[in-house]
Amino acid sequence: MLPSRLKPTTAVARRNRCALLVLPAVVLAVFVVGGGIGAATLQSLGLMPLVGPVRLSLDAYTGQAGELIHALGLSLAIAAAATVIAAVVGVGTALFIVGGRWGARLVAITSAATVTIPHLIGAAAVGLLLADSGVLARVLGVPPDLWPSIVGGPWWVAVIAEYAWKESAFIGLVVAGTLLTRTARFDESAAMLGAGRWNRFRFVTLPLAVPALVISSMIAFVYTLGSYEVAWLLGRTYPEPLAVMALRLFTSVTLTARPEAAAVAVLTTAVSFVIVGLCFWALRKTAVWR
Amino acid sequence: MTRGDLRTASATRARPLRARGASGRGVRNLGVLLVVGWFLLPVAPLALWAFANDWAFPSALPSEWGWDGLIGSVRQGALPALGHSLALSLLVSAIATPLGAMAARALTFGAVPWPRAVGLALLAPIALPPFAAVMGLNVILLRAHVPPEMGLVLVLVVMAIPYTTFTMRVAYAAHDIRYEEEARTLGASRRNVLWRVHVPLVAPALARAAFLAFLVGWSDYVVTLIVGGGEVVTLPLVTASIAAGIGNDATVAVLSLSAIVPPLILLALAGRTGAGPRTDGRTAVRYQAFDYQADRDPGEQK
Repeated sequence: MLPSRLKPTTAVARRNRCALLVLPAVVLAVFVVGGGIGAATLQSLGLMPLVGPVRLSLDAYTGQAGELIHALGLSLAIAAAATVIAAVVGVGTALFIVGGRWGARLVAITSAATVTIPHLIGAAAVGLLLADSGVLARVLGVPPDLWPSIVGGPWWVAVIAEYAWKESAFIGLVVAGTLLTRTARFDESAAMLGAGRWNRFRFVTLPLAVPALVISSMIAFVYTLGSYEVAWLLGRTYPEPLAVMALRLFTSVTLTARPEAAAVAVLTTAVSFVIVGLCFWALRKTAVWR
Repeated sequence: MTRGDLRTASATRARPLRARGASGRGVRNLGVLLVVGWFLLPVAPLALWAFANDWAFPSALPSEWGWDGLIGSVRQGALPALGHSLALSLLVSAIATPLGAMAARALTFGAVPWPRAVGLALLAPIALPPFAAVMGLNVILLRAHVPPEMGLVLVLVVMAIPYTTFTMRVAYAAHDIRYEEEARTLGASRRNVLWRVHVPLVAPALARAAFLAFLVGWSDYVVTLIVGGGEVVTLPLVTASIAAGIGNDATVAVLSLSAIVPPLILLALAGRTGAGPRTDGRTAVRYQAFDYQADRDPGEQK
């Protein structure tokens, strides 16, 4: 008889072992994602009140419909502006990293370092840089009353700048990672066949970078959409983006505000998942996927 | 994405093809300077403010240098906050990395039931806004009497799982399981195969995954604020409370720098371990490098 450890593994045993391996991660993820969304939905519908009777109602949505739409529009606009800038700078970053020569290492190191900085710390730093008595105003010698209101101003410039800065480093590294493993030979072949620098970028590098660019931009967009601390620290108090509105309602002393906070959370989550779904659907439709 | 990857690729890069005129080089150098400046600019004020005791408005440089910011940040509880941040991030990393690696391995080599659904469930936390997750969860955790510290670690581990799983899936896709089978055939126990063949082979990816999970804990603000319920005060929380006020710029700068430096040290360490051969996994890594070269050609001609 064979010792037990040399027994051939049956398909069922193998399947069970694999299920056991994924189980811990899946259970935790399903608990947090499902539990979080489920509880927020119940709260927003009045089915999980902190005090008082359980009563199904859509008041938390209908009662603040105007504010919800306003906040959603603002959040989408901030996320879109930040993501577009981050994608453009990110592609440039990736090209410098892939291009070799002396700058590549420097760009790779500074962008990797930027990725490690917490957003809240980035927001504090951007505040010190761009405020009306900030370091940039001092260096340029502009008095506070002439300095444009970048921090807390009507165009959310500081908020967008912080997200664009941090996420451009992220997008740059992801795109560079893909290009480094895939382009070298295609690029060589194209050059051998006589393609110029622009044509190689347009017809070789860019198509290879598109899936990584789309996915990393999507992550940056969804992150910005649901992020709180930067808009809270560098933004203005009115109008509010979704996360700031939700946190204000959540920490409010009025108990009726809890379902309203949950409604903002549900709306933000739904929009995030729809955007991610659309991105993957679009990627699947294009031939560049895989 | 790490230095390891950069190194592999730079070896295969076609140098002669990059020859270009002086004007192209000039444009390129300018571009590199712009991008590096873009990444460094927001950090520059921190370096100045951190050592400024006094910096009257119009002057371009601090009028009095000193340690007021350092003293102020220690007084605001920077040291315990640093300890909490480190403990929290290391704990999140220590849990999320093996969970992600196990899941990735099963998804890559095994017959996981409903693999698509499992893969989606493990990626879903990326699309879930952290504030939305914890607003709902907080009620459940409070009613279940889960201590805030545990709830906080739980949520952050789940936020880190997509990154660790994805990193390890990429690693296992390039991993040759035959080394493990060979070792088993030669009589090595499962435990020996795990620690002497499997882990050394995926060690660089494990380090990468662990670093990403560390960053999830280190960067978090809103989950710590809501689920931690004031019990866990990390560096971002202290920095936020000071930065939201006025006139403590030197303290904000020192707190910010103390949140920036530790991950950079880890990044440098990870780069070093990823680059050099280690005594334990030396053979395995060399075999993997050899195999990687051998596998490249058929893969890339598809």
